[in-house]
Amino acid sequence: MPSADALRRHLTDLNLTYRPQREWVEGRGLLVVAAHFFSGVGAGAWLFSVALDFDAGLVISAAIVAGLAAPAHLAFLGRRQRFWRAALRPRNSWISRGVWGLAIFLAGAIPYALPAVRDSAFGPVALGVSLAGMTVVLAYKGFVYVASRAIPFWHQPLLPVLYIAYGLRGGAAALLVAGAVAGDVFDIGLLEVIKLWVVVSSAVLVLLYLALARRAGGAGRRSASELVAGKVSPAFYAGTILCGLVIPIVLGALGAATGASRGLLAAVGLSSLVGDFYIKYCIVKAAVYLPIVEDLPAPRRYGTRRAAAGL
Amino acid sequence: MRQGMVIDLKRCIGCFACQIACKAEHGTRPGTVWARVIKREYGTFPEVRRVSLPLLCMHCRKAPCVEVCPTGATHKRADGIVTIDADKCVGCRYCVMVCPFGSRHYQDADHTYFRGREPDPYEARAYAQHPTGVVEKCDFCVERVDRGLDPACVVNCPTRARTFGDLHDRESEVSRLIDERGAFRLHEELETCPSVFYLPP
Amino acid sequence: MASGSGGEDVWIPSVCGMCPDQCGILVHRVDGVVTKIEGNPRSPLGRGRLCARGLAGIQLLYDPHRLNQPLRRGNPEKGIGVDPRWQPISWDEALEAIVERLKQVRAEDPHRLLLCGTPASPAPLAFALGVFMPAFDSPNGFVCDERPNAGVEHMLARSLHGSISMYPDPDFCEYLLLFGADCTSGATAEKMADARVRGMRGVAVEPFLSPAAEKADEWLPIRPGSEGALACALLNLLLNEYRLFDAEYVRRHTDGPYLVRPDGAHARDTASGKPLVWDAAAGHARPFDEDGGDVAIEGTYVVDGEECRSVFELLREAVRRWTPEAAAEATTIHAQTIRGVAREFGEAARIGSTVTIEGRELPLRPAAAVCGPGAYGHDNGRPTALAIALLNEVVGAGDVPGGLLGSGAVSLGRPQTGLPRWVPCADSDGLLQSEPTPENRTDDWPAFDGRFAFDPRPKVLIDCGSNLLMGAAGPERVATLKECFVISVSLYSDETAEALADIVLPDASYLERLDPPQQSSPAGRGDWACQVRQPAVPPLRQRRHFSEVLLEIGQRLGIADAVNARTNIFYGLRLPHTLDPEQRCSWEEMVDRICQGGFGPEHGLAWFRENGVLTWPKRLEEVYWKPFDAARVPLRYEWLAGWQPCRAGRPQIGFDLQAVSYPVPWHASQTCENPWLDEVSQSEPYSYFICLNPRTAAAKGIADGDPIWVESTAGRRVRGRARLTEGVHPEVVAIGGNGGHWARGMPVARGQGAFFNALLTFDLEQPGPTPLAIDGDARVRVYKE
Repeated sequence: MPSADALRRHLTDLNLTYRPQREWVEGRGLLVVAAHFFSGVGAGAWLFSVALDFDAGLVISAAIVAGLAAPAHLAFLGRRQRFWRAALRPRNSWISRGVWGLAIFLAGAIPYALPAVRDSAFGPVALGVSLAGMTVVLAYKGFVYVASRAIPFWHQPLLPVLYIAYGLRGGAAALLVAGAVAGDVFDIGLLEVIKLWVVVSSAVLVLLYLALARRAGGAGRRSASELVAGKVSPAFYAGTILCGLVIPIVLGALGAATGASRGLLAAVGLSSLVGDFYIKYCIVKAAVYLPIVEDLPAPRRYGTRRAAAGL
Repeated sequence: MRQGMVIDLKRCIGCFACQIACKAEHGTRPGTVWARVIKREYGTFPEVRRVSLPLLCMHCRKAPCVEVCPTGATHKRADGIVTIDADKCVGCRYCVMVCPFGSRHYQDADHTYFRGREPDPYEARAYAQHPTGVVEKCDFCVERVDRGLDPACVVNCPTRARTFGDLHDRESEVSRLIDERGAFRLHEELETCPSVFYLPP
Repeated sequence: MASGSGGEDVWIPSVCGMCPDQCGILVHRVDGVVTKIEGNPRSPLGRGRLCARGLAGIQLLYDPHRLNQPLRRGNPEKGIGVDPRWQPISWDEALEAIVERLKQVRAEDPHRLLLCGTPASPAPLAFALGVFMPAFDSPNGFVCDERPNAGVEHMLARSLHGSISMYPDPDFCEYLLLFGADCTSGATAEKMADARVRGMRGVAVEPFLSPAAEKADEWLPIRPGSEGALACALLNLLLNEYRLFDAEYVRRHTDGPYLVRPDGAHARDTASGKPLVWDAAAGHARPFDEDGGDVAIEGTYVVDGEECRSVFELLREAVRRWTPEAAAEATTIHAQTIRGVAREFGEAARIGSTVTIEGRELPLRPAAAVCGPGAYGHDNGRPTALAIALLNEVVGAGDVPGGLLGSGAVSLGRPQTGLPRWVPCADSDGLLQSEPTPENRTDDWPAFDGRFAFDPRPKVLIDCGSNLLMGAAGPERVATLKECFVISVSLYSDETAEALADIVLPDASYLERLDPPQQSSPAGRGDWACQVRQPAVPPLRQRRHFSEVLLEIGQRLGIADAVNARTNIFYGLRLPHTLDPEQRCSWEEMVDRICQGGFGPEHGLAWFRENGVLTWPKRLEEVYWKPFDAARVPLRYEWLAGWQPCRAGRPQIGFDLQAVSYPVPWHASQTCENPWLDEVSQSEPYSYFICLNPRTAAAKGIADGDPIWVESTAGRRVRGRARLTEGVHPEVVAIGGNGGHWARGMPVARGQGAFFNALLTFDLEQPGPTPLAIDGDARVRVYKE
């Protein structure tokens, strides 16, 4: 809540039928979107760096997670000096699991990124640990949002899939950019194909997601319409669709047909990363809560079976 | 024992005394309203009805905020009251995001009611109880309840629309009201099992 | 909040001062800081519960924008928007400047002193109007009630109920017909909630679905200012078509049977001069107050060669033209609905039924029609309010169980002393006297001779917290007051102070002052209460209680002896508590005398400081006086003939809407400056917005939230944001009261809401059908900014 006008808007929000979700997207809330973006990109980049034997990519991925994602998460917290407490409830909280995932990933990735460790006997262990952590990091974010049953736009099984897909494509995109800079140290062509495939799939996912969201009732429809026709639509069309899907697909197809230069691939990567950020931003920004009450529910007695029903 | 509240919408006049009673009891910061009232309109002219709906923390039996809290700061007591330990909260606001009722509040700036001014003597005392950077919410006036008193919003309601008591006790006033008049809860479909019941308007 | 250990931790009984209801409060003070205000469970007013305003008083106490020392105007220019360039001065300087002016005025013409106050502070206002102004010899004191035509309510309450205000019986009412009235909040909120739960049916007739109308079972949207037409149609149906009226009540408790000559005067007995009624059994007229016979209430009779009709007959005649169809035309309510309401109301009154309370059998008429500010606040307010009040009278529901009660009409005093005592009195015609004569008053009160002595060019104006520029005066009056020496006594540098004041005095808020006891009671059965307001903290900084200031001004002016004499009269002091002319008492000593004078030496100020409230039970005759008193109420049929739609109700080319305001339950005067209450308005969808019907808005291309102008036919306009709601009549624009402050000294309130009163025309040159009645709504047009 950075300003007095924000206070007034908060009070107005509380009375709206479709209250928008603002805490995790506006003001400091943008740090959460950024943190999720960076951790997804970093984890995805790690996967492809390992798969394609791109040593510089290992360093880049670990740096993204340690240097961008983790600080962004920390900066968002109200009491960041106690951040370690957020790891205490992995049994029920996806944020705790995410904290463990990040910690485990870094515990494995940072050593593994060092050639000395990578080539030692400890290397496979570090790698294993890093992959375990990476899996959690890729997957957990979607589940964090899914937990919100009162936001139908998020409470869909497709959301974690969307986040995983975007994590992968973000990682691939980051490496396309890195590859353009680093030169022929890995099979960038293969990466390009993977990238194209992932981009197309994520396009399908986005459309499917929106279609399902509309079915989720008034709040879902409202969110979907905010995305395609409302306040969030500029970000959605310019960021997610244009930069994130259209340009990569067009350029990627061009590259596949005519042969891709490193510059072209870097452009695909950058554009895709912009789109990656914006899909997360749009999904979080377009979220609205179920109305507190539509028609007043019919009264019930909650009678003698109360205690047994575990009222 | 399960502490619960019944709010009679036939008695309630939407006067916002509960919003201020809560604020006066706890001295919450500007923009933080633990108890609030929303207005809902139904129908088209001239067949129109409007209902005032007081809201507060529902102290759900299956509280989503308790489930998602990564630090365990949000905790459900044996008597059902959901509290927050401000010393454990890291301010991640997961609980704020996940609450279907908008009952949880977070501030990270030291606002006062008289913008640009130092806090007045009342505010200086009050805000010492409300650290920024952590989440807070209605706690059914747990300090009063533990002293045998009812929550401030209940005690003050000018129309006596609010009743507090043990939902598991068949003889309690809350149980009697639910049984006699019939009641509803909000967002039954989300299966959070709120402890706040509403009698129809 | 709990206090720390070892420090001060006290609860001080006092009286809320946020609105005229004056509920009892307990103020929690910890180490010298007020930490909470709660209701006082021992007070019948509130019974331990407070509305949003009462609870929010703490913010008023510590508001850094409060005035803390006297100020002098540095800028000789006056006007709205002008920077007064306040210069802080000492109290001595301020009082010297004030006294010098008052001396001049007193020497020239004391009537040129005008004083106005706010009903939210009745105790200081009473002292100013009832003691200081008569001592100064100026009759020009008035109450600035922000509701237009509030005087109409008081006038009708006096003449029909013998009281200041009217309220439906919360204990027995079963059918409540509200015309622009709020009977849900205030001191009887809990009992009215009980009534709803037991099945009381409410019908709210008003143009906007206000917070009060929310609780009704049926909202009847009406064209503003046409409520009188509806009431007359209901009367017509009850009296002429359905014949649902309480003949016995009319016969015994009203002037219904009184015979009226063709010239409109009463037919009188030649010997006694008393009004005549027709004895059908005897076949001739006789004085009204003889027993026996069969008094007729309908019909035409020949008396002394003239055809006379009864008042009741003339009333029936007066409403005959109001067919449901005619009323439907005037009100936009369907004729069928009007028929239905009349039948419901008449049948709900259960004419002829009784109820046993405390072992006594009384008439039961559980239907009440209430006229509120929304209905009487028009230039046709007097006939409108009368028509509505008569609905109660014709079904016999005046001051009996279930019906419309005159609040505080009767006081039989404390059981120990029988004081204070006042009862409805009948004049020589047997009619309820408009001015009751309590035994503790003398004949010293100036008699009202029917003229309004009002000098429109006062030399000195004292505004006691009424902020009249936003209420009674209206901004166009600024010019007329520019030559006047204006003293503002206020909590803030408000609009009146900034535009007009030469001297501003920092008033003590209700939490910082001592006031004499006031007797009151919520409507219906329960207890009387006498409460004393005492300071929770001494006045902060240099604030001073204005009653104390008036005492000092009186001394400096040399009229202290007159002040003492007036104090004796006004507060009904008797020996040994009376003040001798030369005595110089502190304010505290005065209050102590007033307490002891009313309640004996054992209940002096010390007792009230400790206990806060003195209560005694209300007796049945104090709640329902009609069955116990012979005074008859005048039906005043002649006022109804003149009913016409209000000025703002008449269509004009280009101005297709009527703007109305409505009371916002969590606000009173100046409360928009209270940040807790301002926050409530921000939390709520309507009160800071301008409400429009969606169809009306669509036709004008206005969407929800759009900034719009509302402009009156006089060219005055008000800016705000549109709120589309189905709960408003399509011809109406509804604006929450109390908003639209612009004073720099009230920064929290500044710019919040819209200033409705700017749209009103206070035009003494063009009075409406009733003298001095103003129209509380305006004919306007609305357009996007």
